[in-house]
Amino acid sequence: MEKKKENIFRTLARWFVRFFFGLKFEEKWFGVNNMAGLEAASVKNEEPDDSELIVSPGRQVFNRFIERKFAVFSVFVVLTMFAIVFIAPNFMTKYYDAYTETTQKDVPPTLSLMRVPNKLKNNIKMIDSYGSFSVGLSNDGEVFVWGVGQIGASGLNIKDIPEEVKEAKIAFVAAGQDHIIAIGEDGKFYGWGSNRFGQYAVTDTILNNPNLEPVPDAVLNGELDVAHIKKVTCGYQASAILMDDGTLYIWGNKQAYSNMDKFIGKENIVDVDFTLNYVVGLDSRQSSVYTGTRGIYDVVYTSLADKGQKMKDFLKGRKILEIRSTTKNICLLLDDGSVALTGDFLSDVIDIPKLAEGEYFVDIEAGAYHYTGLSNLGHVYSFGGDHYHQAEAPDVSGGAKIFAGAFQSYVVDENGKLLDKWGLKGYLFGTDESGANIAERVIAGGKITMTAGAVAVIIEIIIGVSMGLLAGFAGGWVDILVMRVAEVFSSIPLYPFMMILSSLLAQVSITPTQRLYLIMVFLGLLGWPGFTHITRAQVLVARESEYVTAAQAMGVKSSRIAFKHILPNIISVILVNITLSFAASMQTETSLSFLGFGVMYPQPSWGNMLSRASNATAAINFWWQWLFTSIILITTTVCINTIGDTLRDVMDPKSSNDK
Amino acid sequence: MGRYIAKRLVYMIFVFFLLTFLLFMLYQLMPANRAYTDARTEIQTMKKLTEEEKKTKFDELYLKYRRMYGTDTDNKLILYLRWLGAYPFYDGSYNGIFQGNFGFSYDYNKPVVEVVPSHMRNSFLIGIITEIAVLSVTIPLGIKCAVKKGTKFDRFTQFFTLIGFSTPSFIIYIIFIVIFCSILHLFPVSGMKTPGSNFTGWKNFLDVLHHVTLPTICLVFGSLASITRITRASMIDALNLDCIRTARAKGLTEKTVIYSHAWRNAMIPMVSIIVGGFFGTISGAMILETMFGFKGMGLLLLSATRTADYDMIMFLEVIYTFLGLFANLVIDLCYGLVDPRVRISK
Repeated sequence: MEKKKENIFRTLARWFVRFFFGLKFEEKWFGVNNMAGLEAASVKNEEPDDSELIVSPGRQVFNRFIERKFAVFSVFVVLTMFAIVFIAPNFMTKYYDAYTETTQKDVPPTLSLMRVPNKLKNNIKMIDSYGSFSVGLSNDGEVFVWGVGQIGASGLNIKDIPEEVKEAKIAFVAAGQDHIIAIGEDGKFYGWGSNRFGQYAVTDTILNNPNLEPVPDAVLNGELDVAHIKKVTCGYQASAILMDDGTLYIWGNKQAYSNMDKFIGKENIVDVDFTLNYVVGLDSRQSSVYTGTRGIYDVVYTSLADKGQKMKDFLKGRKILEIRSTTKNICLLLDDGSVALTGDFLSDVIDIPKLAEGEYFVDIEAGAYHYTGLSNLGHVYSFGGDHYHQAEAPDVSGGAKIFAGAFQSYVVDENGKLLDKWGLKGYLFGTDESGANIAERVIAGGKITMTAGAVAVIIEIIIGVSMGLLAGFAGGWVDILVMRVAEVFSSIPLYPFMMILSSLLAQVSITPTQRLYLIMVFLGLLGWPGFTHITRAQVLVARESEYVTAAQAMGVKSSRIAFKHILPNIISVILVNITLSFAASMQTETSLSFLGFGVMYPQPSWGNMLSRASNATAAINFWWQWLFTSIILITTTVCINTIGDTLRDVMDPKSSNDK
Repeated sequence: MGRYIAKRLVYMIFVFFLLTFLLFMLYQLMPANRAYTDARTEIQTMKKLTEEEKKTKFDELYLKYRRMYGTDTDNKLILYLRWLGAYPFYDGSYNGIFQGNFGFSYDYNKPVVEVVPSHMRNSFLIGIITEIAVLSVTIPLGIKCAVKKGTKFDRFTQFFTLIGFSTPSFIIYIIFIVIFCSILHLFPVSGMKTPGSNFTGWKNFLDVLHHVTLPTICLVFGSLASITRITRASMIDALNLDCIRTARAKGLTEKTVIYSHAWRNAMIPMVSIIVGGFFGTISGAMILETMFGFKGMGLLLLSATRTADYDMIMFLEVIYTFLGLFANLVIDLCYGLVDPRVRISK
C-alpha cells in the first residue's frame, strides 16, 4: 500500500473537498479511491456476501450526518462563529472593554462618516465636524452635510438643511455635537439641529436659564463683517465666532463649558477652541493658553516620551500662533513651525512626528482625539489619539489645506480638490449608549458568552459523568447517595440562587475576570445532575452487556471497566447532551447578564449588551443596539441545537432511514 | 402508597432543612448588620448628647438591638436555629418561622408574609392562564407533528420551534414590545393599571385586562416552542413502540391508536413538564415581570436582591425551595398515575 499517511489535517481537507466538490474530486486530488468501496459493494451486492459493506458505527453516524444539509451548514456556522469570536479579538488591538466616547453615543449603523459628497469633492472650502456628522462648504458657498443625520431620539435630522441656507451664499460653517451654524457672505447668521441649549436661536426659556448663554445680538442680527471673521468654531453644545480685531462672540451651554463666563466680553483674543470641558483661548501676548484658571495647560510636551517642561521655559520668547484642541489636550503651533502638546493623554497615542531638515508645520487641525498637521512641503502628518486609526496619515504631497473631522482627516489642494482622507468610516453595527463600537463588543462579548457556556459545560461533564458512572456502576448505597445529592442540587432554584451569589460576589473585592469565572463555575455546579441522570441510565443498560461481563470475567478492575469499556460506548449520548447543554448554558448566561446579575458592564456579553432594549422607547429608537446582537446570538444557539438534534437523530439506531 | 409518601415527606423535610441551612449560611456572608444600622439611626435622632454619652448610649442601643434581632452571638448554628424558631432569644422567647415569623421587609415596611400573597396571586393568575393556553396549543401541535413526521407541515413547525427554542425568552419579549407597544400602540408598555386612575368594577377589570394581555401573550409565545418539541419527541418515541404496531394490527382506528394508546405512553415523559409548569406559575416569570413591571413573585425577588432586603429574599427562597421539592413529589406520584408500570410503593 503506497497510500500517503493520513493525518488529521489531510482528513479534514478530504472531508471539505467531499462536502463541496464530491467524491470524484477527492479521488483526483487525494488519490483515495473511495469509489472502489462502492463499486466493490455494488459488485459484491450481486453475490450474497455483505461482509464488506459493514462500516464502523462512527463512520455510519458521520455518513448520515453529512446527508443533512442544514446540520452540515450549522457546523460551519458554529465553527466560523468560534473562529471569529476567539481569533478576531487578537486583531482588535485598539479595543478595550471600558471604552466610552461622549460624542459618538447611539450612532446608528453607517459607513458614511467620511463619505464627502461628490459635488463637494473638487470644490472644498472648508469641512468641520464634532460628533457623528460633518458639514462641508464648497467654494460656491453651498453647504453639504454627511454622516449620521438623526440626532439621538429627538426626531431631528441635521441633514435637513434649511431652505434659506440652501439659497444663500455661505461664507463659514461649523458643526457641534448636535447643531450646525453658518454665516452667509452678507453676514447673516443661520443655525439648525438641536436648540435645547440655545445653540443657535434665542427663546424665552433660554434667556431665563442662567446656565445658558444666549447667542449675542450682534451675531443674530447679522451685523458681523464677514471679511473680518477670523474663525468660526463649535464645541459640544457651544459655539464661538472670533473677529480679526480680537473680539470674541461665544454662546451655548455653560454647564458643559464652566469657564465660558471668563471669555464673555474678553478682548484681544488671537485664537479660541473648545475641549470637551473647557473653552481655551490665546490672548494677544501669545505666550500661554488662557482658560480663566491658572496652570491647567502649563506643562508642555514636545514628545510624549519626554518629560514635560514649563510653558515659559519651553517658549523662550517664541510666540504661539495657533491653538487647536481635542477633547482633553491642546496642540500649540509656534511661530518657528514647531508644535507641542499640553494637557492629559490617553495611553493609545501616536507621538508627534519628527520632520526632516528644513520642513516645518504651517497648519494644525484637531479632531476629537487626533491632530493633523500640514508641512511647508505639502506633506501631511497625523498624531495623537489613534483608537480608530485616525492618526495614521497617508503619503500625500501637494496639500494646501487640511481639515479634521471628529475621527477623520481630509487634505485638499489649492483648488479645493480632495487629495486624500483617512480615519473612521463608520460603525457596521452602530454604537451603544456609551459610544462604543457594537461590532467590536459583539466579538468580545461572544468570547465571554461562549467561554462561559463552555466552562460551565466542562464542569457539568466532569462532575456529572463521573458521578453517573459511579452511581450506575457501583450501585447499592453509593447509587442512592449520589442520586440523592443530585436531587438536592437539582432542586436548588437556579435563577434566584445565581442572583444571590452574584450580589454576594459584588460585596467581595475580586477582579471582573475572577467574578466571571466564578459565575461560570457556579453555572456548572448547578447543572451537573442532568448529566448524572443520563450517564447513570446508560451505564445501567451497558452494565448488562456481554462485553462488560466478559471484562469482569477476565478480572479487569471496576474503575477500568467503567472508564475504558463503558464510557466509550455511551459517549455518543453524552456528546449529544454536551451540545444541547452548551446552548442552554449560553442562554442562562445571557439571561442572567440581561437581568444584571451575570457579566457586568464594562465587560461585554451577549446578554448585558441587550439590557438597553428592555426599555420600549430605546428598543425602537436604538434598534441596532439589540437587533444585531440578538440575531447573532439566536443564529449561534439555533446552529448548536441543530447539531445536537441531528447528532441525536443519526446516532439513534431506531430512527433509521425513514425521514 | 401511604408509606411511600411518608418516606418521601421525611426525605423532603430533610432536604428542605439542608437547603435552607445552606442558603442561611450564604446570607451570613453578606455584610449587613441591622442592629448596627438601627442603633446608628436612633442615636442620630438623639441630640444634645456629648461624644462620651453618645458612645455609651450607642453601645447600649447596639446591644439592645442585637438581642432583639437575635444576633448577639457569633455562633452561626444558633443563628440558624433562632431563625427557625428552635432556639430561644435573649429574653427566652421563641420567634422564628415555626412561630410564623418569616421576617420583616424593610422595603415595604411590613412583615414579609403580608407582602408576598398579592404578588403570588398576580404571578399565579397570569401563569395559570399561560399554562392552559400553552398546553392547549402545544400538545395538539406536537402530536400532529409526530404523526405527520417528515411532512412539510412538520418541517415547517420544527424550523420555527427550533428558532423559538433557541431564542432567549427576553428577546421574544423585546420583539413583542416593539411590535405591539412601539409600532402598533395597542398595549401599554408596563404596569398593572393606568397610573393615577381610580377605576372600579367592570372598568377596573378592563383596565387590568388591557395591561395584562401583552405579558400573557409574551409568556405564552416564550414557552410554546420547547413544549411543542418535547411533545413531538415523546410522541415519536411512543409511536415507535411495539404496542402501537399491535394496536394497528388489531385494526383499531388511527384516532384510537394515537390518542388512546400512543398519547398515554407519550404522557410519561411529559408529566414532569406539565406538573412542573403548574408549580412554576407560582414562582413567577422573573424576566417577563422585570420587563413589564408586573408585580409578581419574580419582580419581588429581583427588587429585593437589588435593595438587599434580606428577610424578603430568604422568605422567597424558602418558598421556592419548598415549591421545588413539593413539585418533585407530585411529579413522582403522577408518574404512578400515568404509568402503571412504575410501582412507587417499592
